[in-house]
Amino acid sequence: MIKITGLEKIYRTEEVETIALNKLSMEVKEGEFVAVMGPSGCGKSTLLNILGLLDDPDGGSFLFNGIEVAHYNERKRSEMRKHVIGFVFQSFNLIDELTVYENVELPLIYTGVKSSERKAIVEKVLDKMQIMHRRNHFPQQLSGGQQQRVAVARAVVNNPKLILADEPTGNLDSINGTEVMQLLTDLNEQGTTIIMVTHSEHDAKFSHRIIRMLDGQTVTENILI
Amino acid sequence: MFSNYLKITFRNILRNKTYNFLNIFGLVIGITCAALILLWVEDELNYDHFFPNRNNLYIVKDKQTYEGKTSVFDATPGPLAQAIKAEIPGIKTTARSTWGDDVLFSFADKPIYENGRYVDAGFLNMFSVPFIKGNAATAFTQLHAVVVSEKMAMKFFGSTDILGKTLKVDNKQDYVVTGVFKDLPENLSLKFDWLISFKIYEGQNQWLTQWRNNAIITYVETEPRANVAAINKPLYGIVQKRNPENNAKMMLYPFNRIRLYNSFDDNGNDKDGLIKNVRLFSLIAWIILIIACINFMNLATARSEKRAKEVGIRKVVGATKQRLIVQFISESVLLSFISMLLAIAIVLLVLPAFNNLVNKNLTLQLFQPLHLAGLIAITLVCGIIAGSYPAFYLSSFNPAHVLKSAKIKTGSAAFIRKMLVVIQFSASVILIICTVIIYQQIQYGKEKDLGFKKDNLITTWLRGDMKTHFTAIKNDLIGTGVVENVSISNSNVLSMGSNTSDFTWEGKARDKQVLITIEGISSEYISTQGMQLKQGRAFYENLKADSNNIIINETLEKIIKNKNIVGSIINWGNRKCTVVGVVKDFVSFNAYKPADPLIMYANTYNANLMSIRLKANVNLTTALSQVEKVIKANNPGYPFSYEFVDKVFGRMFKAENLIAKLAGIFAALAIIISCLGLFGLASFTAEKRTKEIGIRKILGASVSGITGLLSKDFLKPVLLSVVIAFPVAWWLMMTWLKDYEYKISIHWWVFALVGLLVLLIALATVSFQAIKAARANPVKNLRTE
Repeated sequence: MIKITGLEKIYRTEEVETIALNKLSMEVKEGEFVAVMGPSGCGKSTLLNILGLLDDPDGGSFLFNGIEVAHYNERKRSEMRKHVIGFVFQSFNLIDELTVYENVELPLIYTGVKSSERKAIVEKVLDKMQIMHRRNHFPQQLSGGQQQRVAVARAVVNNPKLILADEPTGNLDSINGTEVMQLLTDLNEQGTTIIMVTHSEHDAKFSHRIIRMLDGQTVTENILI
Repeated sequence: MFSNYLKITFRNILRNKTYNFLNIFGLVIGITCAALILLWVEDELNYDHFFPNRNNLYIVKDKQTYEGKTSVFDATPGPLAQAIKAEIPGIKTTARSTWGDDVLFSFADKPIYENGRYVDAGFLNMFSVPFIKGNAATAFTQLHAVVVSEKMAMKFFGSTDILGKTLKVDNKQDYVVTGVFKDLPENLSLKFDWLISFKIYEGQNQWLTQWRNNAIITYVETEPRANVAAINKPLYGIVQKRNPENNAKMMLYPFNRIRLYNSFDDNGNDKDGLIKNVRLFSLIAWIILIIACINFMNLATARSEKRAKEVGIRKVVGATKQRLIVQFISESVLLSFISMLLAIAIVLLVLPAFNNLVNKNLTLQLFQPLHLAGLIAITLVCGIIAGSYPAFYLSSFNPAHVLKSAKIKTGSAAFIRKMLVVIQFSASVILIICTVIIYQQIQYGKEKDLGFKKDNLITTWLRGDMKTHFTAIKNDLIGTGVVENVSISNSNVLSMGSNTSDFTWEGKARDKQVLITIEGISSEYISTQGMQLKQGRAFYENLKADSNNIIINETLEKIIKNKNIVGSIINWGNRKCTVVGVVKDFVSFNAYKPADPLIMYANTYNANLMSIRLKANVNLTTALSQVEKVIKANNPGYPFSYEFVDKVFGRMFKAENLIAKLAGIFAALAIIISCLGLFGLASFTAEKRTKEIGIRKILGASVSGITGLLSKDFLKPVLLSVVIAFPVAWWLMMTWLKDYEYKISIHWWVFALVGLLVLLIALATVSFQAIKAARANPVKNLRTE
């Protein structure tokens, strides 16, 4: 599904140049659950941003289902994010002014789904995430675990092929963290490809394969399944 | 999607009350000001639109050139209207009219002065007088007939069903009411409550049959699509054909231009009149709106970090930049709409006071298409202008950066915000400086030596037999002990309107024509008005002794250039007149122009006005009551009415007063809106620099040091705006003042004082937030971080 070859990303200020990704190469097959691990500053989040088409690489190739997407324009990237990719963040990143229902509904609005259809889809997803009873609450009224379940619901509501998770349990206690990991595992078993950045060895064990990074490059790969 | 935006907007308002209050309040002030000004502008632009024929209506102007300078008057000869109709093709009809006369009407025990005109019958159709009883065809079939307004009918009869009833005019003659017309709207150049046939006026003033006297108004209605240039050709010399000595050249002037133009340069060319005010106030309306929109932009971009996360999330889940732009502009249009609703309420609340200020009767009609469209347009324009920059700025955030809580680089945005503050404060400083200078010019006019004493001086029209009983009235008035002196004359000292060029003197070039104001006076006139004689004497009490003597003013003395002016001869036509005195120049018509040459002659045949000088320090109410008793005793049957000359003088500054008041109010509002914005920006900056302030305090910074640090950044743009505003304000005021012959000098200290004032206001605005931030507990600040 994903093939990255010689990917480069350099951050430049007036005085300092930081190489975040140093000719990194990797592949992810469809249906895989891959964990990316490494110390702070090794380039994990940068890699995830490029995979999610939130950022441009400075060099290298990024093939998504055989199509080069590295230098897609903003409109095409937006289309991909709408239809193909779902995101789950460490700090949940829900919109505080919208209710749970409205947060989950938002991707459907951007993909142009009619109002009558949206209701059915959102309710199904909320039910699946066991957060239906809180649909009219605002994010600040929910616990961390509940917020992350809402974030997962929002990520899956458009049936994306790929989910990118950036330390999804980083702000959660162990019980809630395990619940969220189980949700991701269930999604993966239903066919969704998952690439997860994590510091947690415990969370990484839910994946099929662990890729370890250092200084912008992959150093090892451990296959678990 | 729109309902999504609506929800976000309302929830944002509730979550961020201070910010939204500042935004909405600023927009409300801006929209309210713009709405009030545009109502005023609409009224001015609609002046005379009541008359359906206005595109074919003209007033005949009379141009006279003396010493290379052309003056333009509305006064035309009596026979002109008939001659135009008879001799010039393309004319549908003509009508003569007087200027507007206060005449006494009586019915039963009700004597009241009402204002109206003597007009030819053609006037009724030309101006589509809106009859509700009677009609134009039958209105003047009888000679002693009068048509009255609804208001006048109700005043006298309590009904409009009054055809055939009679009103006594001037206690002398009964007139039959042959028509009642609907009350005329306020915004008309000519107003009247009654109309009587011009034949009556002509019968009382036989000199109207002469071509040499320019004294009445001539209106012309052309055929539709008539060639006005072709009409003006024969019209130009129509007077000279009959009276070669009459300098007056005639031309048609469009009735449509009377209100907003009707002003002429020294070559007699049409130039801008009140239209300048219309343009000025329209510009001010836009400036105030833009200042309010700038506030919105600045506050929205300053708060951008608070919405950065939302922008990032929306982009992550698939929103395009265009979609986000639409969202943010929709939000600002919604805020603008809320502001508009509040502004409507405030406009309705303040409209009576505004009407009082501008002396109009403006109304806001929400369901009138133009008003509704105007309000919607203002809302949309404000919302789109105000929301555009923040929308483009916010929608350009990189989601990868903002979701990692990376600080948004605000370099260019901060610079733009500062420039917007510069624009706001520059506009405010310009408005304040202009207000001060306009006020100074008004005061200059009001306080200059008028050449006569206007205080405690009243005038009353000579009614009934007051003229013939003048000496008795004078003695009785002085006998009350409250009156110093009494005189009669043709007109009010501030509006001496009669003039002629029919004078010659030794040494005057044959081809030189000098237009001289002439005024018939009684012997007490100079002392009653408080004028000063430079040379010679006033007229004797026995006016007949001075029947061939004249008094001239300083201006005429300078023109004649005779060192022995007193005793010299000036020929008035064929009559030899001896100069017995020279009076110091005095103001008439315009306090900002030098006096016109003037001759006063000892004859009260044409006197219309009595001037009464009350003693200084008398109780005015008591004094007026005593004056009234004397006048009524000597002239029963006529209600007593009077006017203070200083009030008439005050009216001369009507246009300048209006500009000064409105400029002052809008300058204050502009500063308030600008300071609201500055307050908001200071608040957000203080919040953003919480950590820095905490660290500085721990390291030993004082409250005053931190206050200075935070304030400095805001005072620099204000200082820059002051520097930019100075030359612009100077240029504007020099341009405005050039229309005045007597004018103030613009002093540097006005600019310095205004600049200092604005800096202090800005300092006070930001220091509140700066001091609050500087006094906060540093531990608390850092714990938050």
